[in-house]
Amino acid sequence: MRFAIAVFSPAHAPSSRRALRFAEAILAGGHQIERLFFYQDGVHSASGNIVAPQDECDIAAQWRQFITEHQLDAVVCIAAALRRGVLDASEASRYQREAANLPAPWVLSGLGQLHEAAQSADRLVCFGGD
Amino acid sequence: MSHSLLIISRQAPGSGLGAREALDIALAGGAFDLPLGMLFLDDGVFQLLDRQRPAHLEQKRLAANLQALPLFGVEQLYACAASLASRGLADETLALPVETLDDAGLRALLARFDQVMTL
Amino acid sequence: MSTTLHVIAHSPFGDERLSSCLRLLGADDSLLLCGEAVQALRSGTAPQAQLRDARLQGRLFALSEDLEARDLADTLAERVDYPGFVDLTLRHDKVNTWL
Repeated sequence: MRFAIAVFSPAHAPSSRRALRFAEAILAGGHQIERLFFYQDGVHSASGNIVAPQDECDIAAQWRQFITEHQLDAVVCIAAALRRGVLDASEASRYQREAANLPAPWVLSGLGQLHEAAQSADRLVCFGGD
Repeated sequence: MSHSLLIISRQAPGSGLGAREALDIALAGGAFDLPLGMLFLDDGVFQLLDRQRPAHLEQKRLAANLQALPLFGVEQLYACAASLASRGLADETLALPVETLDDAGLRALLARFDQVMTL
Repeated sequence: MSTTLHVIAHSPFGDERLSSCLRLLGADDSLLLCGEAVQALRSGTAPQAQLRDARLQGRLFALSEDLEARDLADTLAERVDYPGFVDLTLRHDKVNTWL
């Protein structure tokens, strides 16, 4: 079965970690992830600038590793990202901002990608609100 | 065949980005001609009030974008009767043509859609 | 008519999500409590009474790690781990997370 997962919370939120563990269980169970879509404060889960304390989980780093290892499609909503200051190199240049903080494997795109994933997947599961 | 999607919007318009970003999902889906419905529940019903002046909070009016929903083909619009009543809004003129549903109506609504998102 | 797995992760105290969810819960829908929502299982509380009154036998679940972390009993809810969570999403037609 194919899952579309939407994450609405930043990396330090319990729901972001929960989404990651859920995503891992999907793959471990032999299912597929159509796309991961990060919206609202979920764009902060994609920040490349997070410095997690050494004795704490670095969920942002774990997301990057998970996505890279499994070559998943991980999209960050561009409108939500811009208003929250999460920019890739191209947007940072376009808007003349000091820093880009959205590294690979993340890709900026529009809400159409969320809808496309929801249409192709068997299940749409959202995480966030905290 | 397309999956139908119900978007349940629970946030008041002045409370942050929740209301606007829920609406953006609906408008994006409408732009792609997807079968969508939108339900205003709990504090989400505050979005439906006509007489709001968000300029006092240096915010844009949400109503104008809400009123674009039918133009984007999103015509299945609903509000929770209990949420309106508990907030003293049962007799208010609403800014959008919504169908008001009781709890049984809400359960039937939810069962009709293939997917749902609650923001 | 399609069935829904509802997911709540917020504490029921001072929050409307649980009450609203129980009003919208269909006869074949289920509820998964995770995060702070497992606090609703505490004995002697109004949320626990709400859950009892909702008669959710076989339809109320709680994420194990959240019960364990808070040292809560699973009297009313069936505990599930992450593979169980995935299975639950597949046993229902759709998933509604109360963000």
